[in-house]
Amino acid sequence: MEAPPYAVFLFPSVSHALKAEKILKKQGIVYKLIPVPRHISTDCGVCLRVAVEQQELAAEALQGMVAWERMVLL
Amino acid sequence: MKIIVDARGLACPQPVLLVKKAIGENEEVTVLVDNDIAVENIRRLAAKTACGFSVTEKEGGVREIALVRTGAAGQSPAGTGAEAGPSCGAAPGKEAGSVVVVLADNRMGRGDDVLGDVLIRAFIHTFLQLKPLPATIICYNAGVKLAVKDSAVLDDLQQLAQAGVDILVCGTCVNYFGLGDQIAAGRISNMYDILETMAGASRLVRP
Repeated sequence: MEAPPYAVFLFPSVSHALKAEKILKKQGIVYKLIPVPRHISTDCGVCLRVAVEQQELAAEALQGMVAWERMVLL
Repeated sequence: MKIIVDARGLACPQPVLLVKKAIGENEEVTVLVDNDIAVENIRRLAAKTACGFSVTEKEGGVREIALVRTGAAGQSPAGTGAEAGPSCGAAPGKEAGSVVVVLADNRMGRGDDVLGDVLIRAFIHTFLQLKPLPATIICYNAGVKLAVKDSAVLDDLQQLAQAGVDILVCGTCVNYFGLGDQIAAGRISNMYDILETMAGASRLVRP
């Protein structure tokens, strides 16, 4: 099964990720909290994964609400 | 309902894991396999789960196995202990198939519930990348909450189940939490299965 293309949002802390999660949930954006993929960082961190089509929507929702470090396409 | 499991070309323990799942969900299962180990593993599974078993030789070394559940209707097959689990020619208890994951809580670790919730989601998601996959995942106590309809890890558990991982969900716990109509992954199990599976595992993994 080919994984659909995703974008992940990386945050400066787990608390940021959780705050962002609440916002995405409220906005009805489908997301998944996953460990930061190994090839991106070896930190024991978590990030939020959204479908590529929802990436802009997610970015808009988070803009001004919670800071994210990076957005990476998987 | 009757279904056909085509397990030709699959390496042990995949055939017996697929059959275990299929017979849990269907009254009759027809299985196609191409090796004796798979036949013997499925024969033992049939004996353990009170299923009628017959095997027919087909062309090209293919064996067609017919399994019919003989237990009471709707009763899930009992006994899937890893001690009698798939034997893949390796030393007993050493086969990769007998890694059992125990989800005893809907959080990972103690100390902070919010963090524990983040960690368990990351833990279960990462299991999809583990090779080989565990043979069985057991959910009990608050761990059964991971298998409900609106669980954040439901999709991960369903993918694991699809990949052949047997997911046992403690029936007592489901009943206690009143989640009888909410369980959306795995199959409801009992203390006999849970204990046998844990006692027979070559390794237990607990988050």
